[in-house]
Amino acid sequence: MKLLIVEDELKTAEYLHKGLSEQGCAVDVANNGIDGQHLALEYDYDVIVLDAMLPGLDGFALLRALRGVKQTPVIMLTARDRIEDRVRGLHEGADDYLVKPFSFLELLARLQALQRRGRSQEPSQLKLANLRIDLLARKVWRGTTRIDLTAKEFSLLGVLARRQGEILSKTAIAELVWDMNFDSNTNIVEVAIKRLRTKIDTPYTPKLLHTIRGMGYVMELRDEDSPT
Amino acid sequence: MSWNCATRTVRRERGNVKRSITIRLVLMFALAALVTFSLIGAALYGVLVRELIRHQNDDLNLNLQNLRYSIEHVGIAERWTRVQAKMDTLTPSDGRLRFWVLSDDPRFQYGKGLDRIEGMSQEADGHGTILLPPNGQMLRTLSLRIEPYEDRPAVRLIVGVDVAPLEHTLHAFLTALVLLLLSAVLVVMLLGYWIAHLGLQPLKQLSKEAQGLRPQTLSQRLHTENLPVELSDLAVAFNGALGRLQAAYQQLEAFNADVAHELRTPLANLIGGTQVALSRQRTAPQFQEVLQSNLEELDRLRSIINDMLFLARADQGEAATGLTEACVAREVNKTIEFFEFVLDDKGITVAVQGELSAQAAINIPLFRRALSNLLQNAIEHSAAGACLVVEIRNQAEAVWIRVSNPGVRIAATHLPRLFDRFYRVDASRHDEGLHHGHGLGLAIVKAVASMHGGSVAAISVDGVTTIAFSVPSLEAAFEAVAHST
Repeated sequence: MKLLIVEDELKTAEYLHKGLSEQGCAVDVANNGIDGQHLALEYDYDVIVLDAMLPGLDGFALLRALRGVKQTPVIMLTARDRIEDRVRGLHEGADDYLVKPFSFLELLARLQALQRRGRSQEPSQLKLANLRIDLLARKVWRGTTRIDLTAKEFSLLGVLARRQGEILSKTAIAELVWDMNFDSNTNIVEVAIKRLRTKIDTPYTPKLLHTIRGMGYVMELRDEDSPT
Repeated sequence: MSWNCATRTVRRERGNVKRSITIRLVLMFALAALVTFSLIGAALYGVLVRELIRHQNDDLNLNLQNLRYSIEHVGIAERWTRVQAKMDTLTPSDGRLRFWVLSDDPRFQYGKGLDRIEGMSQEADGHGTILLPPNGQMLRTLSLRIEPYEDRPAVRLIVGVDVAPLEHTLHAFLTALVLLLLSAVLVVMLLGYWIAHLGLQPLKQLSKEAQGLRPQTLSQRLHTENLPVELSDLAVAFNGALGRLQAAYQQLEAFNADVAHELRTPLANLIGGTQVALSRQRTAPQFQEVLQSNLEELDRLRSIINDMLFLARADQGEAATGLTEACVAREVNKTIEFFEFVLDDKGITVAVQGELSAQAAINIPLFRRALSNLLQNAIEHSAAGACLVVEIRNQAEAVWIRVSNPGVRIAATHLPRLFDRFYRVDASRHDEGLHHGHGLGLAIVKAVASMHGGSVAAISVDGVTTIAFSVPSLEAAFEAVAHST
């Protein structure tokens, strides 16, 4: 994925550059609106991450200039959590917005969602090592063992399995599984993951459901867990 | 520059005249006095004029009747000289009173400048005026025709009296009246100033007292006991405003302290943990451990800040947008579903009761957030195996969502304060393991309710704690929209 980051806060720009590069993206950085506009118009990016408050030329003006020429997806970063700012960003043609302080994971999830947008239909079957999920029949197997899951446990597994290798924060899981769009400050997701793990992961190898402390959960096949 | 200052001063003074109650009262007193005294003066003047004229007319009439009697029975020229002598005696030397007798026969005539008499104005009742040369003396006249007698033909007797003394009297009276009136107005103004000054004394006292209020002495109030009725209402209202201000100020101060405290704990953990990590050679996994711990603290900070920003926006009166018509029971069930695993783990059941068909115009994510905070709160304060009740009630244009859990009785003094930020019933209790929020959960419930135009309530009776919030019912929401457009 080829990305452009337009952000004047150097520390923010630096960690975004580092983090996104490590995720395998090709990242360009501009530290002011004028450079950002030049790059955005000159090259073709998959997604542009655009700060609203910029020296030289602010994010909204850049977005307007860009939308006059092309439809590159844009995620706006705003420091002010005001409705007008959000509405204004979306009105000017931004595809998504994030309010600072945002978590890196959330940005990653939004970027992936933007990239996924418009892709062909989801597969009806998912496989990871010896875990097999039939999304249509809502059935799960580990090897040859059929596992019974409740509806919500199945949704949770589906959310994690569809985003293999992607770290999902508790907030993101709450949103995707229960449609709860807020920081819930609860241990609900922890409890749910614990249950799911007991059913689909603990009795089996390799281990597929991992906790990333302080960040969230990821479903992936790791080398150290692979059978030797 | 100095000119500017001067004009500004003048303008301010003019402004003061307009605004000063004393000066306005004095001017109004003066105006009232002027109008009253003028009316009295005018009436007196009118009476005086009428009386003086009547008096003069009586005088004229008396003289006329007197002479008429003398003339009536005089028929020969020899006796006319006696009449002439009588008229001479009656005529005073200053010419105040004059007599004329007009006759076709020159023998029976009397008076100087008889030719002038022709210019005399004449009214039906015999009254008239005449202007005499050389100095334009004005006379009021009364004339009478006397029938012929013996030799004497019919004569016309005219008596004239000078109006100058009357005019003089009236002029003097008018002058005195105007002077008296002006001095009376002046006296009224002075008295009015004194009265206004005296009457406004309580106001001055009040304003002096109000000026003495300082931010440091927030508990200070205006004394309302000795104030007149008109001012005591104002002072009571002012004291009420002061009270609200004090409460808000104290709440803000306490809130600031709480915020600092809440932020201090994670910050101390971050600083301390990082310093410890950096003070020795560490392996990569050890650093990883520190970073993970830091991330947890940072996430806590972010969460607190986000919640505070949310509350600040609600405080600034931000209203919920994106309202949709929703079945309240359906949203309640969806939110309970979110807690499914936790409820299951603790063996707690939730019953949804009441008007399950109630509809409301709500912002669904905000509604779920508020309700999940209430459920979270109820679960945290319930023992394993407890039964929670969510009751939906449609009453008085609002839909109330009441979440009840069995729990220890909460003292009445704590109940309304449960919705305050960072408020804890037991200040010393701080079980980190049990509480996942940071003391803002119920404050957020209140914010969500107020963003919808609803309110909150807390009740604790018979071992059941009920915390509730309301959102406007669909009808009320429609009405509000209809009113605003």
